[in-house]
Amino acid sequence: MVREVSESCVESLLAEIVLSYCSGFYANKPELAARRIEAIGFQVGHQLSERYTMDRPRFTDNLDAIKFICKDFWSELFKKQIDNLKTNHRGTFVLQDNRFRWLAHMSVDPSVQASGNIQDPSAMAENKSAQATGMHLYFPCGIIRGALSNLGIECAVSADISNLPAFVNRTCTPPTLSFCYSCMTEAVLFTQLLSEKWLFQSAVSSF
Amino acid sequence: MIVCVAVVGHQNNPLYIQSFTKGDDSLLRISILNVEGCSYHSLKRHHIVHCSLDVVDERVNNPKKSGLIINETFLGLLNPTENYKVYGYLTNTKVKFILVTTDLEVRDVDARVFFGRFHTAYVDAVSNPFHIPGKKITSRKFAERVSTIVKSFGLSSGG
Repeated sequence: MVREVSESCVESLLAEIVLSYCSGFYANKPELAARRIEAIGFQVGHQLSERYTMDRPRFTDNLDAIKFICKDFWSELFKKQIDNLKTNHRGTFVLQDNRFRWLAHMSVDPSVQASGNIQDPSAMAENKSAQATGMHLYFPCGIIRGALSNLGIECAVSADISNLPAFVNRTCTPPTLSFCYSCMTEAVLFTQLLSEKWLFQSAVSSF
Repeated sequence: MIVCVAVVGHQNNPLYIQSFTKGDDSLLRISILNVEGCSYHSLKRHHIVHCSLDVVDERVNNPKKSGLIINETFLGLLNPTENYKVYGYLTNTKVKFILVTTDLEVRDVDARVFFGRFHTAYVDAVSNPFHIPGKKITSRKFAERVSTIVKSFGLSSGG
């Protein structure tokens, strides 16, 4: 029995997570908020990987696990596969998603001026998009890290964004992985966040 | 007749052990002549499960010796000891399922079907947001589902 969740609900919930943690619970401590969000993502990724590896044969090495993440895991979460996978064969993998679903409806207001310095406009745009979406990337990174750790690969995941809505994940450290994540259409996200009961209530109240 | 099922985590920590003998206890006591109450039998089952973990590791690390396909989840008959047969199953996330049965003839396909259903029940239990990964599974629903699966295993192989 597969249960489905409306995608707009998922996106609203994710936006509310970031908002609540950054402006509510850890208002002046963005580092703590980021860690907490990443930890939630970690547990979600842990459980999702359990479910999505159920009917598959066992992986023989790390590369198999990464391919699983790029193809099956990503398409379960974001309905598409990773667009580009690069590696330096020393433990770093770069997963590139050219249209990251969870950020597809986000944009930055181009008319707001920065500090008044004359800057290259493309760099400014990149900066603004990076700042605006930085916090929103911790959850997907946590999901990826949780999924990989459940498959036996300890890693660190980091994410870069070049311009909305493109998304590049970079992972490094021997052996570390970075990548993007995809969105979920199952009810797992909701059940996970129900344990953060206050969060759910605040999400509902914001509709 | 399934005696015991167990779920063991990737650090060989027990996540769930459930025994299913009710009427058999008295027969076993008479035949073994070692009456010490229920604790003897449950310890014995824990011991059997623990020993079979070594066999699982051996099968996974030396695929050529055991002649097994390296990436299959179902590991088959691990070790037939005394009057028990032990079957193993290893998931992608390094979680092991152990099945101990006293049946003399267990068909391969029955064991596979059993582990498939058991895996589904396990995934549902672990997806519970209040379950802490690495700790024991305390869900009542999971226990009920496992009992149902165990009962249907007995019926299909006996009937």
